[in-house]
Amino acid sequence: MRDTRRSRIVLAILVLISITLIVFDLRGGGITRPLRSVGEAVLGTSERAMASVVVPVRNFFSSVGSIGDTDQRILELEQENARLRAELDTVANDRARADDLDALLDLVSTNDYSTVPAQVIAVGPAQGFAWTVTIDVGSRDGVERDMSVISGAGLVGRTIDVGPTTSTVLLIVDATSSVGGRLSGSSQIGIVSGTGRQDSLTMQLLDPLALVDVGDVVVSFGSEGGRPYAPGIPIGIVAEMRGTEGQLTRSAILEPYADMSRLDIVGVVLRAPESAPRSTLTPSVAPTADPTEGGQ
Amino acid sequence: MVGRRILISAILLLVAVLIEVTVLAPLDLPGATPSLVLVVIVILAGQFGATTGAVAGFAGGLLLDIAPPAAGTIGVSALLLTVVGYATGRFAESDDRPWWSLAIVAAIAAPLVVLAGAIVGGLLGDPRVRWDEVLGLMLTSAGYALALGLVLALPLRRLCRWVVPEAYSR
Repeated sequence: MRDTRRSRIVLAILVLISITLIVFDLRGGGITRPLRSVGEAVLGTSERAMASVVVPVRNFFSSVGSIGDTDQRILELEQENARLRAELDTVANDRARADDLDALLDLVSTNDYSTVPAQVIAVGPAQGFAWTVTIDVGSRDGVERDMSVISGAGLVGRTIDVGPTTSTVLLIVDATSSVGGRLSGSSQIGIVSGTGRQDSLTMQLLDPLALVDVGDVVVSFGSEGGRPYAPGIPIGIVAEMRGTEGQLTRSAILEPYADMSRLDIVGVVLRAPESAPRSTLTPSVAPTADPTEGGQ
Repeated sequence: MVGRRILISAILLLVAVLIEVTVLAPLDLPGATPSLVLVVIVILAGQFGATTGAVAGFAGGLLLDIAPPAAGTIGVSALLLTVVGYATGRFAESDDRPWWSLAIVAAIAAPLVVLAGAIVGGLLGDPRVRWDEVLGLMLTSAGYALALGLVLALPLRRLCRWVVPEAYSR
């Protein structure tokens, strides 16, 4: 009986502390800031250490998974095949990762971006509805809050929290993300917002009479000083027009270039070019192609 | 005795949080991310009772709230998992339950936490909550929690008994 009472008191106290935390976090003003900093410093560093073990294994399993079910009939051969091919595939996987990096360098060197490469080490749980990832570079690598993050395919997101050795990236598909976008052909501008789904973005066009075709490429418009978004980075292509008559703005559904569920190596744009790039950047990878063939 | 109990709980929760964000979430399984932290909290509460369950739930939830790349409101997971830990502890105290009952508890708690998280998020004005996905997330989270619970219940119970033998005198 005494124990029950004690556990009830503990429950009540902890619930009160939780609600207090929620209230303080929602009010803002940095009261819960120290907690997040501790999270970044301690847990971020642990995640980094964990990722150094986990990432090779993760890549191994993703390559084993893609071997396919060609040899299901011959059980004995299947096992040996899987093992041998997995060995081969990890090599191929390393090569694919090197290709990722090449594609990134390619995109970066076309214009005068100064970037730092990073590995995605952690992802937010799906039931939180947030599209955020942790990367293994932080303030020690020169990363600051509100910097663009790109992959070889295109714009990925921006940094929203920076710890000493890790940073949190808000992906462009997150429902709270919005990026200024420009149609590369007609230079119509609009606001590209995340939908919370990994495969679609919506673009609100500012000009209701803008001529937009399916397949048009949308690049980032660029913010002042290249922060948070550097100019000229490919975001996605127009997949569908939602032209509602009588509305002040029209919207387009975009398909993002970067595959948000398979992010591996990305780059943080430390410094954007002095002037907006004259030529439009188009990645060598078509967004419809298999993302694992990146850069080939 | 209390020290060992805290130590084993802290280690298990920390490892669970790290595995959840660096291994389970990037796997990009259909639907929800398997909530390993919740399963560990349920098992700890089942072994050590409601008080430890509530504290473990709070600690695990808070870790989830602040572990990068968490972007939600700090305190939400802590609140929900505190309740889960307490309720599981009370459930396990009341009678001699078979070991697999904890997996069932986890499979019931996981979708409720998903639903409650969406409701709290909606009430707090989180623009990210997608109601059309909530049902799918609930069903998949129940399945993952059941699987994780069945796999982990026995080994973790053995580990708990080995580290804290005094807790099982009765």
